[in-house]
Amino acid sequence: MANVSEVVAGAPGSNGDHAHPHPDFLQHHFDTPAQQFAAAKLGMWVFIATEILMFGGLFCAYAIWRALEPDVFDQAHHFLNKILGATNTVVLLFSSLTAALAVRSAQLGKRTQTSIYLVVTIACACVFLVVKYFEYSHKIHLGLLPGHCFGHPGFSGAIQSGEETGTCLRIHADQPGGSPEWVRAVDEDGHVQLLSPRANMFFALYFVMTGLHGLHVLIGMTVLGWVLVKNIQGKFSTKYFTPVDLGALYWHLVDLVWIYLFPLLYLVGKPE
Amino acid sequence: MASDRSHAHAPVDDGAVHAHISKAQFYWAIFGLLVVLTIITVKVSYYDFGSLNIVVALLIATIKASLVAAFFMHLRHDNLFNTIAFLSAFLFLSLFILLTYDDLGRRGQIDNDYGGTIQLDTGLAAPGGLPATSATANEASGEAAPRSAGGKGGGAEKKE
Repeated sequence: MANVSEVVAGAPGSNGDHAHPHPDFLQHHFDTPAQQFAAAKLGMWVFIATEILMFGGLFCAYAIWRALEPDVFDQAHHFLNKILGATNTVVLLFSSLTAALAVRSAQLGKRTQTSIYLVVTIACACVFLVVKYFEYSHKIHLGLLPGHCFGHPGFSGAIQSGEETGTCLRIHADQPGGSPEWVRAVDEDGHVQLLSPRANMFFALYFVMTGLHGLHVLIGMTVLGWVLVKNIQGKFSTKYFTPVDLGALYWHLVDLVWIYLFPLLYLVGKPE
Repeated sequence: MASDRSHAHAPVDDGAVHAHISKAQFYWAIFGLLVVLTIITVKVSYYDFGSLNIVVALLIATIKASLVAAFFMHLRHDNLFNTIAFLSAFLFLSLFILLTYDDLGRRGQIDNDYGGTIQLDTGLAAPGGLPATSATANEASGEAAPRSAGGKGGGAEKKE
């Protein structure tokens, strides 16, 4: 071991046995920048595959519950605002465009342009999160957060039969309206709906899926922010732009997940 | 396309990164296409195709995802192996969902009123199925509550 470290330490910044020039950004265990780039890309794609499988657990839960309770899902999805969802879709698609353009600028060595595109991408991410904040707070106000109106009946001692709780109303089995217990709430179109108590599965999936996605938006913003700082510091060139490329790939993944979340949560179901 | 070929046939390997660089207008065109598809998927959601609703929505989503992956994520001009790594995730995801679905599909049918899965022929809780909500206990105590279809129509009807 000592010998090895001596050899390494004895050749600081040199190329060891390599005959060709070794640029700063090239790690010593790669032969060429192209090899390093290809390895980094493959690693990122394998990571993206694992991310898809992580979301996959939730998509699987969605598929199963939707297949088991199509009526409940159909009814509950009317509580989501299609227009806000579509707006957020376009915002994310636009941010994906600017991320792709940032990579292109980096490939061409246009540093300022890359910075501008990265800033626009991060700004779009902020817009996305602000819209999401309004959607969440509206739903929480309606009492659709699992736990408020959708608590397990065994824990509902505090909620008396028919007592108004926020804007939703629980109607219990011993009341004329209950079979066996329903949640009354006003949907996005202003219609009063009697929601099945099992609609909590839909809202639980909604909050967890969009929540995990929102977490990815935050992480993506952090990654792109870091790439932006490095870009301003002039760390990238036409020869080395891997972090810009990989950061953008992560951001496109966030976009990809939303492309599926949007129709599955907001659009699928019978129109009224 | 012509530029692709010249890249593919270039025998020079100087070890430097030679990434395909698309025109900015090309990326804007892809974005335009994605927005059009988003508008289509929203418009289409106001029509009822019955059980095909989800098929239509997922088809449009898959076209959009393919555009993003192929061009924004450069898979079209990238190593084929990266595409294989990416698509393998969907292979395993489909195995995951199909096997789970097949398993749960053999555990009785959902009880619209009380939750949980029951066997249709006996009306008893299906073995290994989902547990019923505690409301089922109310029924067990004697009074049989009326059954409803489970939709809002069913609930509203009972309200009268």
